Amino acid sequence: MGRIVGIDLGTTNSLVAYADALTGQPKCIPGPYGSTLCPSVVSIDTDGSVIVGQPAKRRLLTQPERTIYSVKRLMGRGPTDIQDELKLFPFRIAPASRNVIRVRLGDKVFTPPEISAFILRELKNWAEAFFGETVDRAVITVPAYFNDAQRQATKDAGRIAGLEVLRLVNEPTAAALAYGLHEKQRGKVAVYDLGGGTFDISVLKLISTSEGDIYQVLSTNGDTHLGGDDIDNLLQAFVHELILQHDRVDFSPHGELAQELRKALIQVKHQLSETEAATLRFSLPNGKVFTHEFTRGALDALIRPVVDRTMGPVKQALADAQLKPADIGEVVLVGGATRTPLIRRTVQEFFDRKPHTELNPDEVVALGAAVQANILDRGVKNMLLLDVTPLSLGIETYGGAVAKVIPRNSTIPASAQELYTTGVDNQTGIEIHVLQGERELAKDCRSLARFTLKVPPAPAGLPRIEVKFLIDANGILQVGARDLRTGEQHSIEVQPSYGISHAEIERMLEESIEYAEQDFAERQLIEARTEADTILAATVKAQANPKSAELTADEGAKIDASVAALKESVAGTDYKLIRKRIDELNRATEHLAELLMSSAVSTALEGRKLAEV
Amino acid sequence: MSTATTSTNSEKVLDYFAIFGVPRKLWIEMSELEQKFLQMSWKLHPDNFVNATEQERELSLKRSSELNDAYRTLRDPIARVEYLLGIEGERKEGEKKQQAPPELLEEVFELNESLEELREARASGQDLTGLQARLETAEKSFQEKLGEVDAELQSAAREWDATLTVDSAARKKVMARLNELLNRRSYIRNLVTNVAKELGEV
Repeated sequence: MGRIVGIDLGTTNSLVAYADALTGQPKCIPGPYGSTLCPSVVSIDTDGSVIVGQPAKRRLLTQPERTIYSVKRLMGRGPTDIQDELKLFPFRIAPASRNVIRVRLGDKVFTPPEISAFILRELKNWAEAFFGETVDRAVITVPAYFNDAQRQATKDAGRIAGLEVLRLVNEPTAAALAYGLHEKQRGKVAVYDLGGGTFDISVLKLISTSEGDIYQVLSTNGDTHLGGDDIDNLLQAFVHELILQHDRVDFSPHGELAQELRKALIQVKHQLSETEAATLRFSLPNGKVFTHEFTRGALDALIRPVVDRTMGPVKQALADAQLKPADIGEVVLVGGATRTPLIRRTVQEFFDRKPHTELNPDEVVALGAAVQANILDRGVKNMLLLDVTPLSLGIETYGGAVAKVIPRNSTIPASAQELYTTGVDNQTGIEIHVLQGERELAKDCRSLARFTLKVPPAPAGLPRIEVKFLIDANGILQVGARDLRTGEQHSIEVQPSYGISHAEIERMLEESIEYAEQDFAERQLIEARTEADTILAATVKAQANPKSAELTADEGAKIDASVAALKESVAGTDYKLIRKRIDELNRATEHLAELLMSSAVSTALEGRKLAEV
Repeated sequence: MSTATTSTNSEKVLDYFAIFGVPRKLWIEMSELEQKFLQMSWKLHPDNFVNATEQERELSLKRSSELNDAYRTLRDPIARVEYLLGIEGERKEGEKKQQAPPELLEEVFELNESLEELREARASGQDLTGLQARLETAEKSFQEKLGEVDAELQSAAREWDATLTVDSAARKKVMARLNELLNRRSYIRNLVTNVAKELGEV
């Protein structure tokens, strides 16, 4: 058996972590670029090779039709679910089959779990390079408010990536596990988790027993369509409008210019987490430079609707746990978006308590996943996690109503039995429709599965079939049936309303192994060449900028020499040499990069490379 | 639709009280129940069986889900009574589920009239404040009745616990009373929910 890791499969970034064998301390594993963050971006090159993470992110600008980000938003969702996403994100949707979305990347078509599997495989590679051993098992985190289909899709992605998914853990719960190790707190804890695309709130009770520490989730709530991306969307729409009014420049919301604007705005947003004011400078195609000074107050006013939307679920989670804000002993902030001062202030005021931010909000979920992986691997025997199902499970009854059989916030695994009989003589089937959600009508809940229960012919009312609905420790539904008269077990072929069949997953696994079998060095070479292309293109663009005239002749000559040297190395196959020459060119262009940056943002960006400007 | 817990067939019915090793009493010491729940969770939880055989994993899944179902049910005073009546074979939701208990008839009639007026007034855009106040008063009155039913349920529950060792005729009588109280409670609760929903839409 190989190693086990914890993986945070995020909307914006993904991370992989492990628990130290001796100390049990979790640590994130860095990738080839030194960072522990792997941007959740996947690009398919013209030769069919797969590029993941930082190099793929750069291709968002150069090869948008071959590159995809935020694929997590599509996981476990059907074509009708994603209309809102399509307005905001440049997803190229191919015709769906059996309700599973298919995304077009270049001339190939993939399902969201396949794309997520590319990210998982990349992280698996990081970990294998780090350990020098194979990694074949993982704990993967999911938003607590993910439904059955979204969880199943995540598990499928793990399988396609060649990982045995030992457990799906809810992200806020994972964060609490990571903190628990450090804090040794007892009492009630609220975890506020605002990621790139999803919001979760979980309320936990930490209990010490003679056997060890129990992390019992009391309630959870959230919104799978609320995150830092929404803040960026608001900012982008606001500035878009300003540019339209002042400069009469309109551009398509998903075009290259919009992507560049978004990038610039995210930098301004980050800067406003540190300073009270920041200036946006943005070059328009008509040669003009659009500038706008943001104050933190103005930003706060703009993003307040997003922050306010998180408070509804917070209040509901507290009410479900039968607690008041004052009952909460500790508050933990998770997710990059919680660096926003307005969010910190709002949470602090609500709970009247300074929230914990000691652990890096980007890493804390992956660290918790590593802790849970260690628990499952029996490296830790004195910790137990009791999680809940976020949504009520129901069965459609007469007139389209829903009878709840497992209420939300039930500790999992949880089950419910229902007894079915026939209404007419010799009826051979009973239609069963399983749903998830809190609404009273089936049409307002999420359809999980429909199936026909087979019944042997008999007078009406005589058959007695017991159907068992079981939500496992991953929050995924299993259905079984038993004929109470004969004691016979019925196997039920449950066709999920949204999902990929077992056979399809196995086929995807085989295909993905083909992708993965590209030799490690070859992969490194492809990535190094891609990175070289990016920096070479950025250099050409920068040299065309009038500001480059401010460079000394010596500096200019050095850049030209470095460019030539890099081009020469790209023609060869030594990826280490390419990397070395990239670093040299980066150093040679440092001054040029500074010149191109606006003075306002330059302080925040000191030490950035040309390709990142 | 009936549930498996009301099943009267020969199949052995899972007894949530027995899982915790407590008698079928309606008064339960909560902290003790929690202690037992946590202790058993340590032993049964699927986390302990990740590397076990498939058979063991299945069994852990089954037993830990039953433990969680049992704890969820017994922890809630109302669900506990319903469950007890179910396994004793005395839970009867009655064919007259939608019918008001006789002593509430008059008030329910008035309430329905007010609700109807509210809907009409809302549809025609009239002033709603008077009606709203009337409904709020009615809602409060039914909330109080809910409290009364809960108090009666408590006293009947104490009676049940006391008759546990007495003859079965006395127990049947208490169960009939508990059953009737549960039905009344669910009727009033539906009323309160409906009124709250209508008021919420104003």
